[in-house]
Amino acid sequence: MGLYLIARIDQEIVALPATEIGSVVEVDQIAAVPRVPAHVAGLFALRSRVLTVIDTRASLELGAIDRDSDMTAVIVEHEGHSYALLVDEVEDVIEASQPEPCPALLPASWRRAAKGTIRHGEEAILLIDPAIVVAGPEPLAA
Amino acid sequence: MDDLLTDFIAETRETLEALAGEIVAWEADPADKARLDAIFRFVHTVKGSCGFLDLPRLGRLSHAAEDCLAEVRSGGRTPDAALVSAVLAIIDRIGELTDALEANETLPEGEDEFLIAALAKGAAAPAAAETPAEIAKISVMPATPPTRTVSRSIRLPVELLDRMMAGVSDMVLARNELSRLLRAGGSDSQTDVAFERLSLCVGEMRDAITRTRMARIEALFSALPRMVRDLSAELGKTVRLEVDGGDVELDREMIEMIRDPLTHIVRNALDHGIEKPEKRKAAGKPEIGRLRIGARQSANQILIEVSDDGRGIDAERVVRKAISAGVVTSEQAAGMNWSRKLDLIFEPGLSTAEQVTGISGRGVGMDVVRANIERIGGTVDIESTPGQGLRLSLRVPLTLTIIPALTVSSKGTLFAIPRSAIDELVRPKGDQVRIERIGGEQVVFIRGKRLPVVDLGRFMGLTEEPQSGLLVVLRAGGGERYALGVEAVHDHEELVVKPAAPALMASGIYAGTTLPDNSRPMLLLDVAGIAAAANVGRDQEAIEEAPVEKKKTAKAALPTLLFRDLDGVVRGVRLSLVERIEDVATDSVVETGGVQMLPLQGRLTRLHSVSALPASPRLRVLRLSDGHNMLAYAIDQVADVVDVRAELAPAPVAGPIAGVVLHDGTPIELLDPFWLFTRAVTTPSNDDSPLCLVADADDPWAREVLAPLLGAAGYRVAFAGESNDERVSVIVTTVAPVPEGVDAPVVRLRGTPDQTGDESIYRYDRDGLLKALRRHVAGGK
Repeated sequence: MGLYLIARIDQEIVALPATEIGSVVEVDQIAAVPRVPAHVAGLFALRSRVLTVIDTRASLELGAIDRDSDMTAVIVEHEGHSYALLVDEVEDVIEASQPEPCPALLPASWRRAAKGTIRHGEEAILLIDPAIVVAGPEPLAA
Repeated sequence: MDDLLTDFIAETRETLEALAGEIVAWEADPADKARLDAIFRFVHTVKGSCGFLDLPRLGRLSHAAEDCLAEVRSGGRTPDAALVSAVLAIIDRIGELTDALEANETLPEGEDEFLIAALAKGAAAPAAAETPAEIAKISVMPATPPTRTVSRSIRLPVELLDRMMAGVSDMVLARNELSRLLRAGGSDSQTDVAFERLSLCVGEMRDAITRTRMARIEALFSALPRMVRDLSAELGKTVRLEVDGGDVELDREMIEMIRDPLTHIVRNALDHGIEKPEKRKAAGKPEIGRLRIGARQSANQILIEVSDDGRGIDAERVVRKAISAGVVTSEQAAGMNWSRKLDLIFEPGLSTAEQVTGISGRGVGMDVVRANIERIGGTVDIESTPGQGLRLSLRVPLTLTIIPALTVSSKGTLFAIPRSAIDELVRPKGDQVRIERIGGEQVVFIRGKRLPVVDLGRFMGLTEEPQSGLLVVLRAGGGERYALGVEAVHDHEELVVKPAAPALMASGIYAGTTLPDNSRPMLLLDVAGIAAAANVGRDQEAIEEAPVEKKKTAKAALPTLLFRDLDGVVRGVRLSLVERIEDVATDSVVETGGVQMLPLQGRLTRLHSVSALPASPRLRVLRLSDGHNMLAYAIDQVADVVDVRAELAPAPVAGPIAGVVLHDGTPIELLDPFWLFTRAVTTPSNDDSPLCLVADADDPWAREVLAPLLGAAGYRVAFAGESNDERVSVIVTTVAPVPEGVDAPVVRLRGTPDQTGDESIYRYDRDGLLKALRRHVAGGK
């Protein structure tokens, strides 16, 4: 059994392993960073820490999160840096059994980031690897 | 007390405490190898430190114990109870001496000898060994317990300091927030006073915690005497080391970052710089080489200089290596001055050492040295006088995390620039600082020097239009300079900089993130990275320095300014010649003797135009310069700046057009700067100049082309039958017969480039002609 955070990215309900998540925060002001990959939305100060804001939709090549309204971000640590992953909505924290392999047919954009599925009641929810989301879309082959 | 000594005491005491258990275990089982190793390491470390710190007593004791234990480790001796006791007595003694050192007391010296004697083989019957040790103990044991002063020095993990630092930063932000709220709420004076006190405390705390990270640079220098001694002995050289400025304080982490580069530089100096005594003697230098290492603080930087009086680095040799390694092309190298050539030593994969040695390895390293120093926001400069020595100057910021920076903005987005990279701030105004646009690109002339301009707003994609209200002149790592155009400059601040996420660092233009007091995150710019990303760099400066040459066929890409000439034809001119483009009043042009002149910078400058000047009140001119002379060329408008790679098809006749090149399938006429300049320049010859007699008095080519060329080269020119000066140095002729009665060598010119077998020279072979003239003039004297 493990704890999972359930969030919505675009139209998809996804799960993130709770052990990798620091907190969930409201993000208001993002300082833009020019000349970086599109999935890097900018910088955000959480107390004295500077977080790199990642647009999960852009990261999964699903467009971009609406940045006008108040945004919700999931804070994760990856290789010594703190990231705020912008999601459309955080819904719940649930307990679920060990993840199962992914279904064979997944859209390309999800295939890389999905680590498996977890069962929640009747639903199967995609489990997302935060590290892949942080890394962003694969660079085009040169 | 000396920092190093304090460190030594703290370290020794700490190890002694940890070792206590090992010692007891070893006593129980003298054959235990692991325990023996631990104790051996301890005495070995103590011995090493004593060498630096000049503690002969501790040194002697630890040395004796080390020798004895080494023998045991190598199996030459089996540890018995006597030996264990003797070693333990010495370890106790080291502890006592360390305590005494801290309390600034001295212990009677005599007993040391007993302890050392007790280590000796055979001499150590258990009883005998115990007695001197016991005596020693009793004699140093005063009636009152030893006055062990409580240590005032502790060792802390850096993470803890970092956490404290982060905590204080949080506190500062909270204070700022509170201050805003208080101001908004209209607080009473009592609250204000309390808040003021809080502010003061927070400020002091920040300073104190910053100080905890500081240490004296001595920690870095203390290892050098030994290293220099060992290395010079190994290399068969004699070197005197002079160290200065050990009391300069520096961030502890920074000291660690500099350690490797500094070691590398010192090794290089010993291995490749300073020569062997016999060579030095032969070169008339003192046999003992000198190596100086000094540190001092200047403003917000620490300057560390390493200089030696060895053979120095020959920039020309560096260049040859760089060319053969493909780092630079020979064209690029030709345009470089000495210091730029020397800078090539920092390019990856270059080493001038012809021999690979064990000391400084393969000479890979100067690039690593520079990379390491630049990573911490520092710079490296090199000066060398071949045969005289070499000086390397490392400039590093005071602390790794706190960098003095300038905040600038474009279109409301703020960025920080490390102050160490800033040369000056200028506002484009007046004659001294002027921005001009060549094609779509901006360049700025600052007191006559041309620098490329990178517009921050446009570079960052924040705006389409340049916003260069202010220029920040920056020095990128390689020494190249450029101007960063910004909309506004805000503040000088000390910023706490942290590394940015990899996705940001990968852009190559950011050096880190920082959170100023307003809690809006900001990025620190990587000055060298921006130079690279914006393509300003070596090439740009090379252009500035490139010598003007005649009709050089353009195989390498040559930046060329295209313009619409007065006759409507698009022509090109080598960008390196264009000093600036400017508008002048048409009626300021004066015409004398069929020559148009234009007052520029207080001097009448020759103005060249292909056709009559337009009737408009303003006239646009290109100001061309070959480095010494200036001329103006009237144009209609500037079209573009392009790289022209194609071969030049030379024009059939000499004139303002050197020839035609193909660019994007369109033939473009290129101006012949040589031709233009020879007419614009008044001949710098005087009566003493060699007289060159031109035989072809009736040939317009000789008058229009050859004579100006000769004049520009410093010859006096006369035509046959027009001069009665008899001091003719050389005669030049194409078709006319050599004038009779003139005794001078003859240079014959021919009209075609094909070899004809005789000694004649093609008349457009300028170099060949001038060479021949020089040869004859020199030979005739």
